[in-house]
Amino acid sequence: MFESFLGGFGILFNPETVLMTFLLLAAGLFLGMFVGALPGFTTLMAMAILLPISFFLHPLLGIPFLIGVYKGGIYGGSIPAILVSMPGTGAAVATTFDGPALTKKGQARKALEVALFSSVAGDFTSDVVTIAMIGPIAAVALLMGPPELAAILFLALIVISATSSGVFVKGLLMLALGLFFGMVGQDPIGALSRFSFGMPEIESGIPLLPMLIGVFALPEIFVGIERKASQIIQSSGLKVTGERLTWPEFRGCIRTICRSTVIGTSIGVIPGVGQVVAAFMGYAAAKSASKHPERFGQGELEGVAAAESANNAVNGPTLVPLLTLGIPGDNLTVILVGAFIAHGLRPGPQLMQEQGDLVFAILLAMVFANILFIFIGYVCIPMFAKVVTIRKSLLLPLTLIFAFAGSWVFRSQPFDLAVLVFFGAFGYMAKKLHFDVTPMAMGFILGPTLEYSFGQTVILSAGNMPHYIFVERPFTAGILVLTPILTFLMWRRSVRLRRQFGTTD
Amino acid sequence: MIDTPAPNGPAIGRQFNFNTVAAVIFIVLAVVLFFIIPDQIDEPLIKIGNQNKLSPELFPRMVAAGFFLLGIWLFFKSFSVRQHNELRDLDREAITNVVVTLAIMAGYVFLMVNVGFVIGSAVMIMVMSTYFGNRNYGLGAAVSIIVPTIVFVLFTKVLVTSLPPFPLDDVLSSDSFLYGPLNYLSNHSIF
Repeated sequence: MFESFLGGFGILFNPETVLMTFLLLAAGLFLGMFVGALPGFTTLMAMAILLPISFFLHPLLGIPFLIGVYKGGIYGGSIPAILVSMPGTGAAVATTFDGPALTKKGQARKALEVALFSSVAGDFTSDVVTIAMIGPIAAVALLMGPPELAAILFLALIVISATSSGVFVKGLLMLALGLFFGMVGQDPIGALSRFSFGMPEIESGIPLLPMLIGVFALPEIFVGIERKASQIIQSSGLKVTGERLTWPEFRGCIRTICRSTVIGTSIGVIPGVGQVVAAFMGYAAAKSASKHPERFGQGELEGVAAAESANNAVNGPTLVPLLTLGIPGDNLTVILVGAFIAHGLRPGPQLMQEQGDLVFAILLAMVFANILFIFIGYVCIPMFAKVVTIRKSLLLPLTLIFAFAGSWVFRSQPFDLAVLVFFGAFGYMAKKLHFDVTPMAMGFILGPTLEYSFGQTVILSAGNMPHYIFVERPFTAGILVLTPILTFLMWRRSVRLRRQFGTTD
Repeated sequence: MIDTPAPNGPAIGRQFNFNTVAAVIFIVLAVVLFFIIPDQIDEPLIKIGNQNKLSPELFPRMVAAGFFLLGIWLFFKSFSVRQHNELRDLDREAITNVVVTLAIMAGYVFLMVNVGFVIGSAVMIMVMSTYFGNRNYGLGAAVSIIVPTIVFVLFTKVLVTSLPPFPLDDVLSSDSFLYGPLNYLSNHSIF
């Protein structure tokens, strides 16, 4: 793995592509911050509609571009949260506890700067930890065969359903629906046609891109158009005023940033928990550790630093289960899976073995992205502050053209636009009826791999599955035995965290 | 939204609700799936692993069984879960806006396929932004033309993919002074 790590440096700093890689990373960060700063426009939506752009770039360019959107989006949400108490993304809700109070005191600039520096510190540290973790875990993952892979995928899908927002059984039903959608087209073992209902457009399966854009981006648009308000906030209230953050002030937050980074990094590795919970936990931990807890909620810089470093520290570690086992931890990493698959790279232990250099190059790009992150964020804070005032009546149709263009370019078929609208309407209904679409998307993406591994296991078992699993493959048996226990524990933890912090994400 | 079990007594959750209906739909889907599996899956020419009971119908049957069992679980669970059907909260304005947007999307698909991405998008942006409250028509028109053109150039020239082109040869003579620049923007001139 260490050779792959060094190889990653070679690929990333290839003189022919290095400039383009960092330019696209910068573009991704900029776009992410832009969308994150827009209340009602989520990072998920930005990633979904920008996903097609990454499809047609080299993986070294396209995937860091999306990662830039991811990182920038999580930070961008803090800007309106601080200035107008309106979180741009769910991850910034905890930032509204102290951010607006600082703005009222005339310290908006300080608050925005501490949010930026804390975000970058959390993100950078967690990226480094991610690189350190990924090698050993991938080395263990490489020892696994089809039965182990099938068992791990099964466990992952069940855990993701258990930790999705809402009722457990509804998450499982959405997972089953995703598995069904994933079966449409051809079976992965014999390549037999199935569930195409005589429609040639789906002979090769339901197209991934319109489906992902449909379920993740269009519902946000539908929610956005329920009210006609064309402009929510007047620009006069959005001045980035006050003095700059000083070194002693930042130094006073370092302990909090370190604590929140540890919390965010730990949460990032667990599938299905996410940035929102991390931000709340980081904030709660900072408040309980403070000598002046009464200042929290009244405009305390440490409060902003705690929430922002925790939510950004989640970003890197969510890639650990994705890249080593092929398991996306949340809906944002589902989009990244889509990008990997579109490039012919299926995340999992084989990817680390076959394309280890490229994976490390992408991870290193994430680390170096933090330099651009701090620069773009610092320079553009006043501009992003004004983004909140852009008319929704113009932004929504513009979002729509990206969604439609992105759905078209993959196969150039009008049918794909119908798929987009169908899944958009489906996603909107699901949102309103408290069915989380994340397990469905996971089932759709991981279903064929699960079926293939399961089929291989059936063949390998030579007709005696119990003996094969429990005698010859003890690791698989262990995972299967642990599945209900782990599922119960993670479900209970997830419900408790959501109750405690009142979140759904 | 945190899902909490309904308290004892004549609570909202003791009645049939949207989750009960959803459960019934999933159970029906499971039954339908069981029936259509034989017709919807091709027969293999060579039965790989047949001696090990590996049939192409195995996984679909497992998923159908999953639908059925989970549907039954949700059916009983639905009486004790307190969730609000947010579709019922949609007032006339929200329903009208969603329906109008769906209609605009349908029209957009038709226009995009028939008159090309740029023109179709320009019309869609203008109509939708006006409907949703933009009264600065100059700005609306500028955005309607500039942004789709940029997106078109980005996808077709930079990313070298395909978007529906304007049917240039059908509406414009090649002698026209507009033909050259418009032809550049069509998919025929990818470089």
